[in-house]
Amino acid sequence: MKNIMLFLMALVMSCHVMAQQNRITGTVTDKKDGLGMPGVNVLVKGTTSGTITDMNGNFSLNFSGKDAVLVVSCVGYKSVELRVKGDQKSVNVVIEENSELLDEVVVVGYGVQKKKLVTGATVQVSGNDLQKLSTTSALTALQSQTPGVNITQSSGQPGDGFKVTVRGLGTIGSSSPLYVIDGVAGGSIDNLNPSDIESIDVLKDAASAAIYGARAANGVILVTTKQGKSGKVTVSYDGYYGSQYAYKMPDLLTAKEYMAVQDMINFNEGNPGNNWSALLPSALKQSIEDGTWNGTNWMKESYNKAAPVQNHAINLTGGGEASKFSLGFSYASQEGIFGKPVESNYGRYTARVNSDHVLLKVRDFDAIKIGETLNYSYSTKSGVSTGNIYSNSIHSLLTANPLMPLYDENGDYYDYYAKQRNGWNYDASAANPIANTALSSQGLNLSKSHNLQASAYVQIQPIKNLIFKSQFGYKMSANTYRSYDRIKKLSSTNETTTESVSQNAGLGASWTLDNTLAYKFTLNEHTFDMMVGQSAERWGLGDNVSASGKNTLFLGSWKNAYVDNTKPTALDQITAGSSPWGEGTLASFFGRVNYDYKEKYMASFTLRADGSSNFAKGHQWGYFPSVSAGWVVSSEPFMESTKNWMDFLKVRGSWGQNGNCNISGYQYLTTFAFDVTNGYYFGKDKSSQTTGGYANILKNPDVTWETSEQLDLGFDARFFDTRLGVAFDWYKKTTKDWLVVAPILSTYGLNAPYINGGDVENQGFELALNWNDKIGKDFNYGVNLNISKNKNKVTRIANSEGIIHGDANVLSQGTDEMYRAQVGMPIGYFYGYKTDGIFQNYDQIAEYKAAGKGVLAGAQPGDVIFTDYNKDGVIDDNDRTMIGDPHPDYTLGLGINLSYKGFDLNIAASGSFGQQIAKSYRSFADTKTQNFTTDIFGAWTGEGTSNKLPRLTSGSHTNWQKISDIYIEDGDYLKIQNVTIGYDFKKLFTKLPLQQARLFITAQNLYTFTGYSGMDPEIGYGYDKSWVSGIDLGFYPSPRTFLVGVNLKF
Amino acid sequence: MKKILYLAVAALLFASCNDFLATENLTQKNSENFPVNETDATQMITAIYATMNIAIQKGVNKTYFYIAQVASDDCYGGGGENDKDAQASDHLMYYGESLFADFWSARYQGINRANMALANLQNVADETIRNQKTGEALFLRAYFYFELTQMFENVPLISAAPENVSQAQIAPTQMPADSIYAHIASDLKKAVEIMPAYKWNEVTSGTATRWAAEALLARVYLFYTGFYQKDALPLTDGSKLTKDFVITGLNDCIANSGHSLAPDFRSLWPYTNTATMKNSKYQEGAPKWLKDGENPEQVFALKFSYMSAWVGDKLGFSNQYALYFGIRDQSTNYGLDGTYPIGQGWGQGPVAANLWNDWKTDEPDDIRREASIYQVKDNFQYGRDAQMEETGLWQSKIVATRAIVGTTDYPSFCSSSEYYGDGTSTGHFQVSHAQDLNLIRFADVLLMHSELTGTADGMNKVRARVGLPAIAYSLDALKKERRHELAFEGLRWGDMRRWHEAETDLAKQVGQEIWNKGQKTTMKDQGAGYVARYKATRGFFPIPKTEIDLSNGALKQNAGWDESANFSSWNN
Repeated sequence: MKNIMLFLMALVMSCHVMAQQNRITGTVTDKKDGLGMPGVNVLVKGTTSGTITDMNGNFSLNFSGKDAVLVVSCVGYKSVELRVKGDQKSVNVVIEENSELLDEVVVVGYGVQKKKLVTGATVQVSGNDLQKLSTTSALTALQSQTPGVNITQSSGQPGDGFKVTVRGLGTIGSSSPLYVIDGVAGGSIDNLNPSDIESIDVLKDAASAAIYGARAANGVILVTTKQGKSGKVTVSYDGYYGSQYAYKMPDLLTAKEYMAVQDMINFNEGNPGNNWSALLPSALKQSIEDGTWNGTNWMKESYNKAAPVQNHAINLTGGGEASKFSLGFSYASQEGIFGKPVESNYGRYTARVNSDHVLLKVRDFDAIKIGETLNYSYSTKSGVSTGNIYSNSIHSLLTANPLMPLYDENGDYYDYYAKQRNGWNYDASAANPIANTALSSQGLNLSKSHNLQASAYVQIQPIKNLIFKSQFGYKMSANTYRSYDRIKKLSSTNETTTESVSQNAGLGASWTLDNTLAYKFTLNEHTFDMMVGQSAERWGLGDNVSASGKNTLFLGSWKNAYVDNTKPTALDQITAGSSPWGEGTLASFFGRVNYDYKEKYMASFTLRADGSSNFAKGHQWGYFPSVSAGWVVSSEPFMESTKNWMDFLKVRGSWGQNGNCNISGYQYLTTFAFDVTNGYYFGKDKSSQTTGGYANILKNPDVTWETSEQLDLGFDARFFDTRLGVAFDWYKKTTKDWLVVAPILSTYGLNAPYINGGDVENQGFELALNWNDKIGKDFNYGVNLNISKNKNKVTRIANSEGIIHGDANVLSQGTDEMYRAQVGMPIGYFYGYKTDGIFQNYDQIAEYKAAGKGVLAGAQPGDVIFTDYNKDGVIDDNDRTMIGDPHPDYTLGLGINLSYKGFDLNIAASGSFGQQIAKSYRSFADTKTQNFTTDIFGAWTGEGTSNKLPRLTSGSHTNWQKISDIYIEDGDYLKIQNVTIGYDFKKLFTKLPLQQARLFITAQNLYTFTGYSGMDPEIGYGYDKSWVSGIDLGFYPSPRTFLVGVNLKF
Repeated sequence: MKKILYLAVAALLFASCNDFLATENLTQKNSENFPVNETDATQMITAIYATMNIAIQKGVNKTYFYIAQVASDDCYGGGGENDKDAQASDHLMYYGESLFADFWSARYQGINRANMALANLQNVADETIRNQKTGEALFLRAYFYFELTQMFENVPLISAAPENVSQAQIAPTQMPADSIYAHIASDLKKAVEIMPAYKWNEVTSGTATRWAAEALLARVYLFYTGFYQKDALPLTDGSKLTKDFVITGLNDCIANSGHSLAPDFRSLWPYTNTATMKNSKYQEGAPKWLKDGENPEQVFALKFSYMSAWVGDKLGFSNQYALYFGIRDQSTNYGLDGTYPIGQGWGQGPVAANLWNDWKTDEPDDIRREASIYQVKDNFQYGRDAQMEETGLWQSKIVATRAIVGTTDYPSFCSSSEYYGDGTSTGHFQVSHAQDLNLIRFADVLLMHSELTGTADGMNKVRARVGLPAIAYSLDALKKERRHELAFEGLRWGDMRRWHEAETDLAKQVGQEIWNKGQKTTMKDQGAGYVARYKATRGFFPIPKTEIDLSNGALKQNAGWDESANFSSWNN
């Protein structure tokens, strides 16, 4: 179809040409390398006749009249205009890359804007800069490139997500920024391959984001997928293949070491050592003692060394004046480095079709234009569980005792029966962790998901610069999940007696309709760019179904684990459930005026009104205004004197309000629930339940918008012939009327509803520096460095104690709450006792007591010195305070790129500083028999031996049961994320029928500078809470990867 | 011009926006469409009962019934070395200032549901059914308040559900015990007056009946008048509820309910089931377990189910007391020769040796001693899985009961194919206890009748069942009888408090032989000691700190629960 259209266009043009007299041919070359430039637009100024250069940069063009002006333009290059005479037959044009970056256009909400005129705080990252880092997720690649955007992996497992916060955590509710993909709000960036992305623009300040008022409180990330370009069809292939390795393995105790430590615990408590001969099978004990067996290192047994990762992407771009298209197909897959024999696995296929068509062109503008974008992805994921201490496969590998073999004498998993056969009498509840994962839904699971994100628009321009655009966006997703629990008996407490299969599936959609009307005009050098719009969105149009069954007919077969293959019995019925998705709507009206005078003074005003179905009538509408202004100081006459070293200086400021309405619906009604927990088993029959109905939430008719208000002051400057660029922003963001479930007295016997219950403040700055230069003719280099600082503080929580409590039993069973949100403190700070080292002797204990400092009853040398924080002479719960802050003070991104002829070298690094990590690789306060890392050799064993780790005791000791800073470590790190060396063979073999033939090798996560003792300091895990992070219970680490790849462009 | 047109269109859109923004909740009923009929009202009543299972799900170690075991002189805390809350509760100390928050919350959840149901029962058209349902809600509300006030004394009194969030943000004040007892007595009095006289087996088992209300009223009366040394219960209208009213109720229950004593005492407990009996020392005389719903002695019980699961929110459907009070870590090699038929559990509430020994002295021929307490054999290995405060004595009433059917060893009889004829599952020892928890037994009704009337008739019926001779009534004899008949059934703690004998009886636990992690030692006083702790607290436990913190000072902590009551541990 497109080809036919192109053909017709060409026909029309050539007919037109017949009547003309002059013909000119030429070549367009790139100033940088002197090579011909394909795909460059050449237009006869003031007419519609034009052409595009071929693969070697050649063109030919007809024009009428005596002479003409040719306009030669290409995205990313400075346009060139040159006059040609009627008798001239050929011309050579040299075009130069546009180093004047300020002429770049950036994407803003519902439109684009010249970067020079932007008055808010935004950051743009090009798709190329993402792609060159060779990651499967675009967010990994963004990490080092977006100051003010903190991106932390929730887990290093393939396909697992990230925690993304823009300018600090503003809420304990949903804190994820709004993703707008090709103009459609609410998509997911995970469904895109980095190769699909043209650019990413992050709207950080309130004024920039205000146009998305309703959901912009956490910042907005605008993703533009690759758009069609007119010119010859270019085809590119980008692919890589790599192997992944563990960056750092924890040092676990060997069997012999473990036995010694366990005995020492007994001695320390005045008990005899373990009678290992009675506890362990004699052959096992013998092999440990004579050194033929060191015990099981469970992490190593589970290690999937050289786990493969690969990515392949094909992109096609092309089109003519009237129609342009871009197609992309990709496949990515990644295995996890842990979890063997059920190692994690992630795979994703994407397809993209984007096109634009001008239906009617009037003079020099497009009167009617239509277009569409379509992104489809299919992904599959299976993984090991990475949650809390009770269901975390990595944690159980770290804690399992090394005395237990992985396999029994028959090569089967060492389980309860093997223990019984062999005469194992040690720790009856110890379960083989690899078998536990491999035989349960912790490892036997598979999710599949299909995602479609599509949009179509029509744009009508009745008179020049008056543009009406109507865009319809549609998102659809379908997913299935299947898991399987096999029969096993691994210990006296770890037993599954019947097999069970669980399946669920969901299918749903949402749509958005946006209509905007924009008009741009200039009056006496006053330029007004105005836009009004309306938007309607409906989501949650879908259903879930789920089913589970027991007693499979294909015993032990994962591939046959479907509910249909289970056999119901009287007791084990197939259960099923179904529910609609929570439907919701949002209606909006918005408008924006951008003004500038001579591109020197700029101002922008935005107002958005949003109505949300999540609130009761009368509380549905929220109004979100913003204002911003900028001044290009360097354009002032009085700045002439600085021109020789400063090219550009713009100062800007903005203020605005954004909203958040992201809560579950119907909080304004008292709803009744009829769930299984609230039924009752009357009568003799113990398997049939009488349904109960109860009010599950108390209505809050007043619940309404959360508002985020932000002030931003900043400047952009370029120095030394634009070689040095500087951008600086200072901001203060206040989130007011938090939507929060604040605990209420349980005395009223109802669950707490959402209230507008708190305020939080984030304040900080961002500084981005870049230096680009060349030495000699061929050596180009550039350095980008960005630094951000943020300080987070809760300023109000609307219940009487001003606290939202965290969970207990996080680091071990039997420990108190260890994180919370509290007025005056950062969200999710670590809460516990400060310590003052270890008591070395009884004199020291007596000194403490004499000085009136609290000492725990029964304290003895080797015990932790808990700080009497409130100085009341006793150590009690009131001495607990902040012992750590998981939020970094500073984050840093660094990029270095060098190129020489065909060679290029890229280095990317990112770092976080000032945050703490709560680490517990075993349940210190709980189970005595869990394994240790070799750090335990640093425990106190006598005066002067340690001032950090207390003496060895069994789990129940207060030394570990009281959450204190002995669990806390500084988490500062700088990760060398990527080092890539590439060579473009086109430079060597210029005759290659390719535009590019680059071969590269990359090392990812090459080195981490950190003092942190764990496997990976980048810890997004926070007990499954969005507002908590930095808790390391055995975190699935990100791998170190070596890969080789090619970029081919035809 | 175009812009004006557009704005006009926008204005029209705005007008229709309110319809666009109206969405419908498809999965939940709400206050606009519930409750409207009799089915709805019944569902609301059912959900009150369900809060009892919710309290179980949140951990039975937080419930009054559990505290009444471990705090009494019958049992210690026990458990593993990390079950410090169990050991703390035994010593009338605390480990975790908000330990009882879940129990507090579950009971008030029940109260709130009862309040809401009572406000909506006019939807039930049939008067008899309405009276029965109203009585059930009143009974349950009274039961919940009675447990709360026995445990925390001055608790807030909520008698109507809040309308919205703002109302629920005002902290309610604590009420004096008299007001709470007046509320309980008034609820029960009304229940007794209006509930129909269905025989026990004419209603579905588990349902609260008029007989249960009469029995509970007697229990409340005895505790209140004993503990507070009063002669009558107060009522909300200012009048008094007399002893005569209570006795009349018990007479009604004894004469008209159809309840009777089971012929064999041992038939009340699951170890006399068909599968367990074959290998058990209890088989003499072949008593046969009276399955749930077939037991004429059960006046009121908490029901459990087989449909429980460890994960999710079904845990409360299994009788977790049976798990908590089971023997800790019956690991690989202990097997049948060890402790059969007492099943595997978490080793909490080991029986204090003074009970075992005193019983022998007081009533040497009482078969109930060995029918209620299991003593381990000589070859038993102490200290499994770091068992603390171990005595070698385990109660066999409310405990995991294993069963062997063919070659299959079931962790609980209630998961066996004997109990579930077509069942194939062997169940899991942590979730497979489906037996009812008897909360009011007819033997208790008879004993309360004796105590209130000062006559020996009821007491001697109870004695006759276990082959003991009739004796004359004395309060002292009655006290012993209650202790023996009702051991481990959640009543001893209330009895020792209302008789004002707690201090002396608790002191007897000190010096008794115990094993900690397999090391033989003796029970000692912790903190200020049993006697001083009882003096300081009068047997009341701490109000959860979470509630105090949230109440903005409206709730005051009970006496004796400062930092000095913090239990650190046996070995710190």
